[in-house]
Amino acid sequence: MILTTVDRRRFLKGSLATAAATLAAPAVLRAQDRTLRILTWEGYAEPEWLDKFKSDTGAAVNVVYAGSADEMFAKMQGSQGADFDLVSFDTSLFPRYVDAKLLQPIDPAKLPNLKNLAPEFANVKAVMQGEERYGLPFAWGSLPLVYDTEAFSTPPESWEVMWDEKYAQQMLWQDDANNSITLGALIVGAANPYKLTDEDFAKVKEKLTGQKKFLLSYYAGFDDGVNLFAQNGIKLMYSMGEPQVPALVKKGVKAALTIPKEKAVGWLDCWELSAGAKDKELALAWMNACLDGAVGKALTEKHNYGNTTNVDVNKTAGLTYGDKLSWLETAENYEKRVALWNEIKAG
Amino acid sequence: MTEMRRRWLIFLGVAFVPALLIVAPIASFLLLSLFRAEKNVIIREITFGNYTGFFGNWTYFGTFLGTVLLCLEVMGVAVLIGYPVAWFIWQQKGSHRYLLLLLAVMPLFMSYIVKLYTLRSMLGLNGLVNQALLGLGILERPSQAFLFNQRAVLITMVVIYLPFVILPIFLALERIPRSLLQASLDLGAGSWDTFRRIVLPLSLPGTIAGALFAFVLALGDFVTPQMVGGTTGFTIGRVIYSQFGLAYNWPFGAAMATILFVTALIGILLAGYSISRQRV
Repeated sequence: MILTTVDRRRFLKGSLATAAATLAAPAVLRAQDRTLRILTWEGYAEPEWLDKFKSDTGAAVNVVYAGSADEMFAKMQGSQGADFDLVSFDTSLFPRYVDAKLLQPIDPAKLPNLKNLAPEFANVKAVMQGEERYGLPFAWGSLPLVYDTEAFSTPPESWEVMWDEKYAQQMLWQDDANNSITLGALIVGAANPYKLTDEDFAKVKEKLTGQKKFLLSYYAGFDDGVNLFAQNGIKLMYSMGEPQVPALVKKGVKAALTIPKEKAVGWLDCWELSAGAKDKELALAWMNACLDGAVGKALTEKHNYGNTTNVDVNKTAGLTYGDKLSWLETAENYEKRVALWNEIKAG
Repeated sequence: MTEMRRRWLIFLGVAFVPALLIVAPIASFLLLSLFRAEKNVIIREITFGNYTGFFGNWTYFGTFLGTVLLCLEVMGVAVLIGYPVAWFIWQQKGSHRYLLLLLAVMPLFMSYIVKLYTLRSMLGLNGLVNQALLGLGILERPSQAFLFNQRAVLITMVVIYLPFVILPIFLALERIPRSLLQASLDLGAGSWDTFRRIVLPLSLPGTIAGALFAFVLALGDFVTPQMVGGTTGFTIGRVIYSQFGLAYNWPFGAAMATILFVTALIGILLAGYSISRQRV
């Protein structure tokens, strides 16, 4: 009985919406039997905006979550994109997908909400190929400098503080080749931290090798960093992400984060349109829906990710430094970076 | 003829599982180590480039030698501690002895990672070791000397692998007939002489087996150095590990794993040789 009522109500609502849409603008979707297929990360297709999208369009949505960037790429490549309409990955992966011809450009005219993008996300170079847009910035975060506020009354201004003898054996650094070398390149002022020259590599090596004696340890995981920080009286840490701060506060450390003047590494996940998209219009409708400020609000408040549309919510959450980040790009040679990182650790 | 065939069939049936689970993976590793990777693609052409690359690069070869040295240290310290413990347990009477043995090997029932975390918190700045030394007045303030250096790696590995050393030594001691000891004493040998000329030689095979366990297990351990070694805890296991992620150089990683495998194999052969030469 109840089921029938709900069904009828939904049916009525759907028909009314359809009728209204048909009258108002023929181009607006009428999609009772349409399906959107999304390949994404957990947290990017949440009920707050997924349900609204379903009821607005009447379309069904199939969401597939990937466990890793490699898995996501394999799923897309396996079908040459034909299995999905939409995919989401970060700025560093564009060349890989573009080279494999798995994406198609997004027509900005179909995204009336594009104007909602905050200025620092409206012109991200990494998502453009020439004049054409391939990605729509959606969620972001950074690898900031985390410090103990009891040791610093004002936030450290420069990463150079991590070479200060005063804090020897009270500092932690990530054991991640790419993140370490990218930040090292930012600190030594390389022209492009993702296209390092041999000279840049030498400078980064010297810089990071010289730091070893001041570090207590490298750490290899999100929780590991938090535990080491809390147990060993750490003052400064090259962080793996914003959520480490609340985790430290929970353990009684008065931790805070800052983005020093040399910038910090940032990741920016985007929505991309699959080359094999069956229902392009519906996919663009999803992108447009994701540019709604309410979606940004839910993304930040529920998942602690930075959003790209709702500046006020970002501000309240302290995510005010999107313009001070260096968005990850594909590096010149990952193997070389791993080899260099090994040399630094063995040196 | 049919008897022969039946035997072969039984052998194949029995050998199938170990061949599938042990020989095949090792063989595939050996093969992989002869390929090369270029731009994230593994190229299946036979080359020894990975091996020359390894021995020609001090970052890798030096780290490898350092790791072998560390594992020999772990082995030595573990035997120096493990032997007296095993001997002491062996000396106990009746069921008492097995209770003690159970306690000594108890850590084997714990997850390796749990042990690592426990040790790390014990050796840390606010850990048990520092607290004890402060309480005894040996230290004036907590010291960071016990954690995040090579010494910490050594201590942690010894603690973790000690049960593997105690157990075979105890079993070797247990197999010595009591009558031999009594005969030795009857013939006028003191307890030191009995130990030196009877107990020690007869327990040597077990001791060598225990030492081997410690060496081989330490050689393959790439988590302990990462967890407690700080910036100096860099071992060949970490280098191998790094080749399988972002670098995507599986052939080079396989080559280094093969070198490690051969090193362990040489250790095992040397041990086997010294046991077989053993005369009483």
